[in-house]
Amino acid sequence: MKLKISHEVKKTILRYGISIILTLLFGSILIAIQGESPLEAVGHIFEGAFGNRINIGNTIRWIISSLMVGGAAIVAFKSGVSNLGIEGQLYMGALSAAIIGYSIELPHGLHVMACLLAASILGMLYALIPALLRVYFKINELITTLILNFIAKYLTEYITMWIIMGGQQSANGSASITTPQILNTARLSTIIKGTTANTGIFIALGILFFIAFIYKYTLEGYEFTQIGQNMSFARMGGVNINKSFIMVFLMSGLISGMGGGIEVTGSYYRFMPNFSNNLGWDGIMITRVANNNPLAVIIVSIIWGALKQGALHMERMTTLNRLVVIIIQMLFVLFVSIDYDNLFSRWKEKIRLKKTNSKGGSSIC
Amino acid sequence: MLTIIKILFGTVTWSATFRLSTPIILTSVGGSFSKQTGTFCIAFECFMLSAAFFAAWGSYLSGNPYIGALLAIVAGVILAAVFGVFVLHFNANPMIVSIALNFGSWAMTTLLLTKVFKVRGFFHSPKIVNFQSIDIPILRTIPYIHKILNNQIILVYIAYISIFIGAIIMYKTPFGLRLRGIGINQVGAQTSGVNILKYKWIALIIMGVMSGLGGAYMPLSGLSMFSENMTAGRGFLAFAAILVGKGNPLKAAFIGILFAYTNAITLTLTSFGVPTQLLQMMPFVVVILVLIISSLKNFSKNPTINNQ
Repeated sequence: MKLKISHEVKKTILRYGISIILTLLFGSILIAIQGESPLEAVGHIFEGAFGNRINIGNTIRWIISSLMVGGAAIVAFKSGVSNLGIEGQLYMGALSAAIIGYSIELPHGLHVMACLLAASILGMLYALIPALLRVYFKINELITTLILNFIAKYLTEYITMWIIMGGQQSANGSASITTPQILNTARLSTIIKGTTANTGIFIALGILFFIAFIYKYTLEGYEFTQIGQNMSFARMGGVNINKSFIMVFLMSGLISGMGGGIEVTGSYYRFMPNFSNNLGWDGIMITRVANNNPLAVIIVSIIWGALKQGALHMERMTTLNRLVVIIIQMLFVLFVSIDYDNLFSRWKEKIRLKKTNSKGGSSIC
Repeated sequence: MLTIIKILFGTVTWSATFRLSTPIILTSVGGSFSKQTGTFCIAFECFMLSAAFFAAWGSYLSGNPYIGALLAIVAGVILAAVFGVFVLHFNANPMIVSIALNFGSWAMTTLLLTKVFKVRGFFHSPKIVNFQSIDIPILRTIPYIHKILNNQIILVYIAYISIFIGAIIMYKTPFGLRLRGIGINQVGAQTSGVNILKYKWIALIIMGVMSGLGGAYMPLSGLSMFSENMTAGRGFLAFAAILVGKGNPLKAAFIGILFAYTNAITLTLTSFGVPTQLLQMMPFVVVILVLIISSLKNFSKNPTINNQ
């Protein structure tokens, strides 16, 4: 029996295959010129990510963050909403979770839920600003979300330093600007002892499966996808674009905010400025690498999380900096973004034209 | 009252405005060209940051800021070319390429910082020679103005001259006409015999050169240092200026100056004990306000969204 492979599948295999080969090639060169063995480096990354119980736990901790931001990004980008503001929504969510976490007292389960709820709502409200500006003022959400990131960053730092910590006397140096630790009742329980791998993983996976379900089996999901593919067509088909657009934005903000909340209640146990380290941007890249497929986001998130944790181990064991891993990740993102199918068909066309041209030329002579 | 006037119109504020606006203006004038050809790019952060690093390195090695600026331009052009190859020839999504480049350049410069200068965080050395401030005899005699305009470094003057040169090229030459034509209707331009790819590439190179200069300003304007993530969002401010200016260098520069003015005012306000975070936030808040004000005419109660 001959195995039938559809064009789409072939395209996908081609795309990822070439990208991986190119990335490995360039990555090896990058590592080799620093005088280290690429194979050894990969070994250290693997060992650091999955070597023992503690390492696996820490990897899961990073997978949770990747899943949350990936989920936030996929909701937005699948529907054509360019939400570059995941970073800002994360900050707002994280800060509100931290405040609820240390300031009020509630029983264990309830307290965590209150924290995450507050984080989600704040993230959602922060996403409402660019959504309304886009709908009512026709301002491109790309720029508003981008700028709101910076505002969120400085605003949360201001609130932490001047309102929560009460001014300058306690703040010397950016490292010490933090909120008080959240109470024990507000913490997500850990699933692997000695690490910060927490129950947030179930929330994150649940959200991604939920997204996959919505987009595949519900009418709303179909409408959202339509908007992403062709907005005019969707409008002609009777989709209420304004409503859907705002809803998608709110959903994306909600997941981002909750992601920030999980970071605080699950791993950091406090809010500090610069905690996210550009996590929001990771989400956008994860989504694009996963080609807007919710289930592929899970796979890519695992890779992203493993690399983040493995890079730390690699840095300890070799002379390589962990930034090398980030550069290699960016190379991969760049290579995956190439439209190979189009490229190859154009090349084929060129070669065909050249052949016919040379034939034609010879016949005239 | 007097202090308010002093803050708003004082020579210190305006002189700072001129200095702070330079990188944003340089980048946004260059970016206006690629914006006109319809190339979507938010990788200015990448161009500026890499250029800043190479400017510092070049100046450190040669002891000459002009060599540093030259290296910065080369870095800017090379990265713009990488962007161009991916977006124009490989049909890659410009947004994702921009994001990857922004991050890649942050990681790359930070890595180079540790490899080349053997430091973490920032590198400061008197060996990184700055541009000298220029004393212009004509300006020296004019009261008030001389404190603002005179004794700035050469890049400041280049930036302000480039606004007008850019506007003239864009609106008064056949080259500019074709550039704008491509942005308005690509197919139309193609049928009238314009080589679209060539013009898009020229616009990209201009963008690379200008953002390279914009990046070179930061380490060589008197700081003698390069620090991790030195641009701190200036590339995004430039992007905002380009977007609000709709590819018009004059408008983009005006917005850039507005951002810088806000920044300059807030710098003087620091001495009044206003929290620094709020002050750092102000230019970004102004961006949002400018966007809202410039789009007020679009406001309608029964809105419809179009593909943008």
